[in-house]
Amino acid sequence: MVRLLALLLLLFAPLRASTDVLLAAADDATLQPLIARLANPHTETRASWTFWLGTLGGKSVVLTRTEGDPLNAVAAATLAIRRYAPKLVVSYGSARAHDPALQPGDAIVSEVFAAFDGMVSPVTSLDGGAHPLKWERLPHAPIQGKEVEKYVLTFPADATALAAAKKLSGPRGAVIPGTLGSANQVNREADRIAWIRATWGTSCEDGESAHLAGAAQLLGVPIIGLRIIEGTPEQAAALALKFMEASR
Amino acid sequence: MKYFLLFLCVALAVRAAEPVDVLVQGAENKEVAEIVAALKEPKKLEIGVFSFWTGRIGPHRVAVSLTGQALINCTVSTLIGIEEFTPKLIVNQGTSGAQVPYLGLHDIIVGRRALDYGNFITPVRGAGQGSAPLAWTPVPQRLRLPANGALVAFPDGFHGDAAAMAVALRTRNPMGRVFPGVIGSAHEVNLEMDRVRWSARTFGMDVEEMESGHVAALAHAYGIRYIAFRVVSDAPYDGVPFYAQAARATGIFTVNFLENLAPLTTKS
Repeated sequence: MVRLLALLLLLFAPLRASTDVLLAAADDATLQPLIARLANPHTETRASWTFWLGTLGGKSVVLTRTEGDPLNAVAAATLAIRRYAPKLVVSYGSARAHDPALQPGDAIVSEVFAAFDGMVSPVTSLDGGAHPLKWERLPHAPIQGKEVEKYVLTFPADATALAAAKKLSGPRGAVIPGTLGSANQVNREADRIAWIRATWGTSCEDGESAHLAGAAQLLGVPIIGLRIIEGTPEQAAALALKFMEASR
Repeated sequence: MKYFLLFLCVALAVRAAEPVDVLVQGAENKEVAEIVAALKEPKKLEIGVFSFWTGRIGPHRVAVSLTGQALINCTVSTLIGIEEFTPKLIVNQGTSGAQVPYLGLHDIIVGRRALDYGNFITPVRGAGQGSAPLAWTPVPQRLRLPANGALVAFPDGFHGDAAAMAVALRTRNPMGRVFPGVIGSAHEVNLEMDRVRWSARTFGMDVEEMESGHVAALAHAYGIRYIAFRVVSDAPYDGVPFYAQAARATGIFTVNFLENLAPLTTKS
């Protein structure tokens, strides 16, 4: 009988009930305030990625750690979406400002996401140097089905979640709608930051949010992004919790 | 018992696809065309927006995957491919840009290793001080080890499967030469020769493209054998611009490789 039950569990693994929300953050410090609040918590792993499951404010949720880079973020999200079928993905954490008007502590919500890691440089001969402010952007081209790709500059945020998030406040006041940019880069050259903002329209940069949005689009799940400029893990987690409470 | 059998049938119907020996990937239609055409008893599956073709080549049951280009597409499609088909070996193949002067159009690099070279931290520079990419500090791909959960950096990327490499280096490329080498992946097309030279010197890269290093990391996370083949489709040292038809060479080479490759075990 035990063997029979084990067989059935194995066979029906892909048929798990759907989850309300997938919450994705870069590291343990940012995840832990939410994991600590989970009711009926349990943990599952697959290859390099970990999933914390439970309920939060009456919603079924799964949390995963993105490691703050596109590959781990997309991998973790893909597995989570396939295994737990969330109705919404929430990417939350800290970000660095591209918009000079933004200040540490400002909270940004995604109107759209821009994965700004793509570039094409102009043909330049040896000893001609490298000139990144003359590079052209190279957008991602998500597969649309039927073996067709389409280049897109941005990935959309979910309109309902965006409307709910716009009503929230962060450490410095009302949440600011903007474009969350991501790449596995830490840009600290002022001229390059200005070029990225002019080229991609980014408000800020982090390691994974737009790549998560690309994966969510490929897998047909809506997404919202919440970021605190130079935020602490506690500030980012607090904003995610406010969002969860507001969207009950 | 009747209900149990019905239950079992439903469960089996929603299970993943039949396992394969080899998951063969290409990012673009031209990169998978020759391989799909070589499949015996071919069958097409669409899983979400991704297309797979299963069949046999040589002694192997094969799933051919059109991944789409770059990290987002190839990561999602690789995970679907692994989870659905549980392959023993992943072959990622396609076109690339030469990063070294010895390579010409239609030459193929067999990946001794593949890495993500597109990640960096810049120095701090104020407004008006410009941007200097040859001074950026590379950031290696990190991956958490399933055995102990440790987060480990892989500055050299991920090594190709030794047994698969040995077979590949004895496989005929009908359109050019075959060399072992290093494949770098990023969402970049670098045509500034100083940066091309910097990439070759910094990472040991022979060619650049957009998927192999990412798929190598995913294969490593699952403990799946992995090899990458990249044909030179643009050779900036020779002034050769991108030639999409070069994809035929790596497609034919991959079919030859699969026919040469002995039946697989899980471990190399």
